[in-house]
Amino acid sequence: MSDVKTQVAGNPLAGAIPDDNECSDCGRRDLLAKLGVGSLIVAAAGAGLFAYEFFSPNVLFEAPPIVKAGKPDQFPANSVTLDPQSGIYLINGSKGFYALGAICTHLGCLTAWKPDLDLIACPCHGSRFNREGIKVAGPAPQPLPWMKVWLSDDGYLMVDRSTTLKAPEYVKV
Amino acid sequence: MSDTPKMQAEVQSDVRKNPRRIAFILRRTSPHVKTQDEGRVMTYPTALTRFIITLEVAFVLLVWISLLANAPLEGIADPMHTPNPAKAPWYFLGLQELLHYFPPVVAGVLIPGLVVGALIVIPYFNINIEGESLWARDRQRRLMVLSAVLILFCLFLVFFDVIVALVPTLVVGGIMLWSSRFSHESPSRFQRWLSLKPLSFWIMTWFLVELTVLTVVGTFFRGPGWAWVLPWRS
Amino acid sequence: MASISTTIKSEFERVRNSDVWRTIFRSGSGSSNLHRSQAVQQNIFLHLFSVKVRTRALDFSPTWYLGALTLSTFFILIATGILLMFYYHPSVPQAYADMKDLQFAVASGVFLRNLHRWSAHAMVFLVFAHMFKVFYRGAYRPPRQFNWVIGVFLLLITLLLSYTGYLLPWDQLAYWAVTVGSNIAKAVPLVGKQIRFLMLGGNEVNANALLRFYVLHCVILPLTAILLVGVHFWRIRKDGGLHVPEKKS
Repeated sequence: MSDVKTQVAGNPLAGAIPDDNECSDCGRRDLLAKLGVGSLIVAAAGAGLFAYEFFSPNVLFEAPPIVKAGKPDQFPANSVTLDPQSGIYLINGSKGFYALGAICTHLGCLTAWKPDLDLIACPCHGSRFNREGIKVAGPAPQPLPWMKVWLSDDGYLMVDRSTTLKAPEYVKV
Repeated sequence: MSDTPKMQAEVQSDVRKNPRRIAFILRRTSPHVKTQDEGRVMTYPTALTRFIITLEVAFVLLVWISLLANAPLEGIADPMHTPNPAKAPWYFLGLQELLHYFPPVVAGVLIPGLVVGALIVIPYFNINIEGESLWARDRQRRLMVLSAVLILFCLFLVFFDVIVALVPTLVVGGIMLWSSRFSHESPSRFQRWLSLKPLSFWIMTWFLVELTVLTVVGTFFRGPGWAWVLPWRS
Repeated sequence: MASISTTIKSEFERVRNSDVWRTIFRSGSGSSNLHRSQAVQQNIFLHLFSVKVRTRALDFSPTWYLGALTLSTFFILIATGILLMFYYHPSVPQAYADMKDLQFAVASGVFLRNLHRWSAHAMVFLVFAHMFKVFYRGAYRPPRQFNWVIGVFLLLITLLLSYTGYLLPWDQLAYWAVTVGSNIAKAVPLVGKQIRFLMLGGNEVNANALLRFYVLHCVILPLTAILLVGVHFWRIRKDGGLHVPEKKS
C-alpha cells in the first residue's frame, strides 16, 4: 500500500545553500565576520557606558551634607528634636548628644517623634524605632543611621549627614 | 487496512526537485477536510463600526465621570512633611500592603519579578491545550502533593504574619482540594464545572483573588501608620 | 428633505470617485467585498488587521470588548495628554502652579485633567481585566503565545506610564508615592542605588526627577506603547484572528 516512502532529511535547507567546503577563502571570511561581530559588541558596550555616564548627573543642586543643628542649650535634657529641613533627629540623651537620620530605612518616608509613645514612628508602613534608632516594630530592614556629630569652634552642634557611624558616639558638652 | 493512515506527510529535502509536494493521499478518500469555519464578516465596515461604537461608549462614560468628579490634587510637594498614611496609586497598594510585611527586596523586587516572569512563561510552560482537569490522572498523588504545598505555603505566610494573604490562599486552595471530590457525574452544575478545571486555572484564580484582596485592603482598610481602619468610620 | 440627502450622498460619491480622493484612498467608492477588502489592505493603519473577521469574534461574550475599550482609553489619554502639555512646565515649583492654573485659569483645564486622570485609572483597570479575560478564555495558547508576552510588556508599560504620570502634578500625593516607589528600586541587590540614582537623576526626588519622569511619560513610554500595540494587533492577524472557543458539538 505504502509505495511512497516518507523521506525526512536532516536539514531541509540542504542543497539550497552552497556547502561550506566549497568556499576557498573560508578562513578569511570567518575572521572578517568575527571581527565585525566583535567590533559591534565593543561598540554596544561603549554605547552602554556612554548612556550610563550621560544619565548620571555630575553636578547636583541638592542640600549640602553638613548642617548646623544649633547651640547645645537649645536642646533640653532627654529630648528628641526633629529638624525636618535636613531630615535628622538631634537627641540630648543621658550619655550626651547624638544625631539620627530621620528618613525611614524602609522606603524613605520622613519619620516623626511620638513623645507619648517614646518612639520614632514611620507613617508609611508602620515601622517604629526607639530613641537609639533601633527598630522595635514594622518592616524596616535596618536601624536608623547614626550620624557624625561634633561641636564647632563657635559653639554650634554640627552634623555630617553623609557619614554614618558604625558604633554609637556621644558628644559631651 | 483500517489502521493505515489516510494520508502521510512528507518533508522533501530537495526543494528544486519537489517544490510543492507536501502530502500524499494514500487511501481513496475525498480530500475534503472537515472544518468548522463559520460565518465571517468584513472588517470594514462591520468590525470597524463596532470599535468606533466602543470608543464612543468609553468616551461618553469617562466624560461623565470627569464632569462629576474632580481629580485629586493635594498641597504642593513638601519633603519635610510626610502625609500619614502615604499611599501609592491604587494599583500599587497591593504591593505596598506586601511591603508592610516583607523587606523591600522581597516585596518590591522578588515578588513582582516572579509575577512578571510567571506571566511571561504561562504560554510556554507545560501547555495544557486540552485543558485537562487537575484531577484527571494521579488523583491521590496530586492531592497529597498539592496539600503539602498548600500547608507549607500557609505556614510561611503565618510565620510572616501575612494574614491578609493567608485568607485568600486558604479559600482558593480549599476549594481546589474540595474540587477533587467532584467529577462530571456530580449533581450540581457548579461542582461539575469545578471538577474540570486545570491547575493553571487554580493558580491564576489564586493570583486574581490575592491581587484584589491586597489592593482592596491597602486602599480602604489602611489608615495612619498603616494600621487597620474601617472605611465607613473615618 | 429626501432630495437634500440624496444630493449630499451623490456629491460625496462624486468626491470619492474624484482623482484626488483616489490618490489617497485607492479603493474608491463601491461596496463590494473587493472594495471593502481593499479599504483595509490599502490603509496603513487598518492593514494591521485581517480583511475579514469571524462573526463570533464580534460577539460580546468572548472578549467583553476589553481590548477595544483599552485602546479607546489609550486614544483618549493621548489626545488629552497632548492638550495638557500645552499648559505644563516640568519644573519645580512651576509644575504645581500649572495644576492650579489648569484648575482655575485655563478654559476646560480641569475637565481635561479629570479626563486624563480617570482615563488613566480606567486603562490600568482594563488592561488587567483584559489579561485575566484572555487567560480564562485560553486565548494565550498556541499559536498566540508570543502575543501574550507582548501583552505582558504592554501591561508593564501601562503601569510605568501611570507611575511616571503620577509625579507630574508635584503635589504631596505625587511626591511621596514616587519617594516610596524609587526606594523600592533601591532594594534591588548590588545595583539598587545606581538604578535609583539614574531614575531620579540625583539622590532625592527633585527637579531632575520631575524632568526625567516627564520625558519618560510624554515621549519614551508612549512611543514604546504605540509600537507594541501595533505589533499586538498585527499578531492577531498573523495568529489566525481573535480566539473564539470551539463550538460544542
